[in-house]
Amino acid sequence: MTAPFSHLDVLEAEAIHIFREAAAQFRKPVLLYSIGKDSTVLLHLARKAFFPQRPPFPLLHIDTTWKFKDMIAFRDKTVRELGLDLIVHTNREGLERGINPIDYAPSVYTDVMKTQPLKQALDQHGFDAAFGGARRDEEGSRAKERVFSFRSPGHRWDPRRQRPEMWNLLNGRLGVGETVRVFPLSNWTERDVWRYIAREGLDVVPLYFAARRPTITRNGQLLVLDDDRLPLQPGETPQTRMVRFRTLGCWPLTAAVASSASDIESVVAETLSARTSERQGRLIDHDQTGAMERKKQEGYF
Amino acid sequence: MTALSAIRQPQAAPEPAQELNGILHLLTCGSVDDGKSTLIGRLLWDASDLYDDQRETLKKSGRTAGGSAHPDFSLLVDGLVAEREQGITIDIAWRYFDTDTRRFVIIDSPGHEQYTRNMASGASHADVAIMLVDARHGVKRQTRRHAAILDIVGVKRVILAVNKMDLVGWSQEKFRAIEADFRELTLRFGFRDAIAIPVSAVGGDNVARHSEHMPWYTGPYLLEHLERLPARDTAPAGPFRFPVQFVLRDGLDFRGLAGTVSAGRVCVGDRVTDASSGKSAHVLRIATMGRDLEFAQQGQAVALQLDTDIDVARGAVLSCPQTQPTVATHIEARLVWLWETPFDPRAGYLLRTATDLAPISSIKIKSLLDLETLAAQPAEGASVNDIALAGITLGRPVAVDAFAALPGTGAFLIVDATTGASVAGGVILSAANGGAADAASTFRITREMLAKGICRDLGSSEQDRHEFQRRANEAALLLRAAGVDVKLEL
Ligand SMILES: Nc1nc2c(ncn2[C@@H]2O[C@H](COP(=O)(O)OP(=O)(O)O)[C@@H](O)[C@H]2O)c(=O)[nH]1
Repeated sequence: MTAPFSHLDVLEAEAIHIFREAAAQFRKPVLLYSIGKDSTVLLHLARKAFFPQRPPFPLLHIDTTWKFKDMIAFRDKTVRELGLDLIVHTNREGLERGINPIDYAPSVYTDVMKTQPLKQALDQHGFDAAFGGARRDEEGSRAKERVFSFRSPGHRWDPRRQRPEMWNLLNGRLGVGETVRVFPLSNWTERDVWRYIAREGLDVVPLYFAARRPTITRNGQLLVLDDDRLPLQPGETPQTRMVRFRTLGCWPLTAAVASSASDIESVVAETLSARTSERQGRLIDHDQTGAMERKKQEGYF
Repeated sequence: MTALSAIRQPQAAPEPAQELNGILHLLTCGSVDDGKSTLIGRLLWDASDLYDDQRETLKKSGRTAGGSAHPDFSLLVDGLVAEREQGITIDIAWRYFDTDTRRFVIIDSPGHEQYTRNMASGASHADVAIMLVDARHGVKRQTRRHAAILDIVGVKRVILAVNKMDLVGWSQEKFRAIEADFRELTLRFGFRDAIAIPVSAVGGDNVARHSEHMPWYTGPYLLEHLERLPARDTAPAGPFRFPVQFVLRDGLDFRGLAGTVSAGRVCVGDRVTDASSGKSAHVLRIATMGRDLEFAQQGQAVALQLDTDIDVARGAVLSCPQTQPTVATHIEARLVWLWETPFDPRAGYLLRTATDLAPISSIKIKSLLDLETLAAQPAEGASVNDIALAGITLGRPVAVDAFAALPGTGAFLIVDATTGASVAGGVILSAANGGAADAASTFRITREMLAKGICRDLGSSEQDRHEFQRRANEAALLLRAAGVDVKLEL
């Protein structure tokens, strides 16, 4: 009679609880939608939390103009089909200065095209809370992240100002000038995200599935050429390979993996037996130990 | 032979399960250098689906543990840069690993006395705690303090891991003596399924396999015991409780009360009561996206549609009509002071319960727990890391339960009204209606007073009522700050 809960049921209930706590306590929340698998799960949970109502907040996408074309197509289709409000924000000034992921160091590029525009958009619209899909298992410094992560004026993350969180009581009372990042997927792992996508039958960007794509190998990483903006170095010739992505971002900064997993079942099977963690494919994180922590203090998500 | 090749690599993982059988939240606590990081690292290494790049990092480090031939497993448990530099764990870190059947969440908390608050907040999320001691030193003052904190935040299942058995010659005698001290603690705090396990974290003895060094120990090894413990919410206990989080609307027909069942269960057709107003209604529908449910139980997040509109909003607690929460204006509580700023009797505080937020009229600290002797010492103030017994008088009635019976509606935070910080976390020992706030000197704020004055511009929409409540709270807080005892009668 009493249905035993699987771990996904527990994680789902917890995420819904977090969404509702935030929506009830913050004046003007927004969901940071980055189109990837985590955002897909995040959006699905937001819909569940407020069903039959629509989620009482818009989506915000920070567009660096370097996302894969398939990502943008998927974003627009999702928003249209679900009837959601989407705000797209790009750092125009950064674009005009010609900041790009090819000629600039990842830290500069990330700051100008991701961190700054995120702050701009949050400030312009007066959002006091932003839902994000970050997970504690992603990286060392995230392991200590709160579910409600407070940001001082200027969106700075100060580890000493973080509030202790006890039981499932989420205190959303803001101090002057404070805003908050809310992480409903805090306790999910990469494997859970895929298991859940499979269980709920969710659509994801096709780049997660293996297909024959034009690739080059650079610094030991497989890059998929999404357009002709990346100048090839001597000796590099594009080769068609069966590849897919474990994580999605700006295409010159995101490495693919050789794979033949071309449907959700095989992707789940591959993820569950994967031998390396997903951050391997995210080039900006390899800078140095503690890189993420520094980026966070500067206001990166 | 290198240090690493001496370590058993886990066999090729069997086909991993899609959905695991529940989650067990595991708190680890111990003093600096008892071997906590090593123990966690060892668990991850032996029992979990650790990624190859993480294994590689450890191998490449070339560091070995404390002069032994074993690698330094504690490196798997890396933390914030600042902490790594200081070589101590300050904050709580969350880690996840799966065995074939179960998800484990490791909540890694610092043990030192100056981090009592971190441990208390970490422990509040735990189903079971591993207390670590060094076999050479046994149960110390620190261990007693940890036990007291676990007891306060409601952790009832405790494991004593007696570590570094290799350094005491795997001595059964030593272990039995420590075990006896632990029994004493267990009795004192009423822990359930309490067990002491002799381990060597570095060698993996009795961590994820039995130890050949201690044939005299016939109990379960650590992981074996952990796999047997019940996961959270598998057995819904107690009478139905449903703290309302959010009101959902869809057209004119649907008004749903969104929330998570915090205790017991509810079926379609059940009669439920809002304790604060005393009004009842029947459950018409239990809605979730995708399908409606016949019943919902502890831990499930749902939306309840009632057959009559009894006008409840966020902060209300729906219950079964027979056993309702107390609609309290005064509570007796134990609390842990969490914030750097000490308790200030003149400051404005709010009581945050499951979903309600109410102004506090007064907090009276009665005693502090002496961490040395575990005895109560009379006191009037409280500052960071203090564990206090306190009486809290509320500016308006709030629906609550005693924590021991119903943790979901018996825990609270004290919130600083100005900064918003969570300054204390606590558990309700008893709750009563009436009491100190009814003294003659108390100033009563009524709905009429507000409606004529600072809430004159508000109508009766959901949003306006919310704003009304907010302004009422703020007014009460301002008066409190000016030294006036206030009671809201709305
Ligand atoms: N001999 C021995 N040393 C251990 C054992 N477990 C941990 N240590 C050592 O004790 C020291 C402290 O361990 P660590 O895990 O960093 O402790 P923490 O401060 O509690 O996290 C390190 O030098 C470890 O190598 C054990 O079972 N036997």
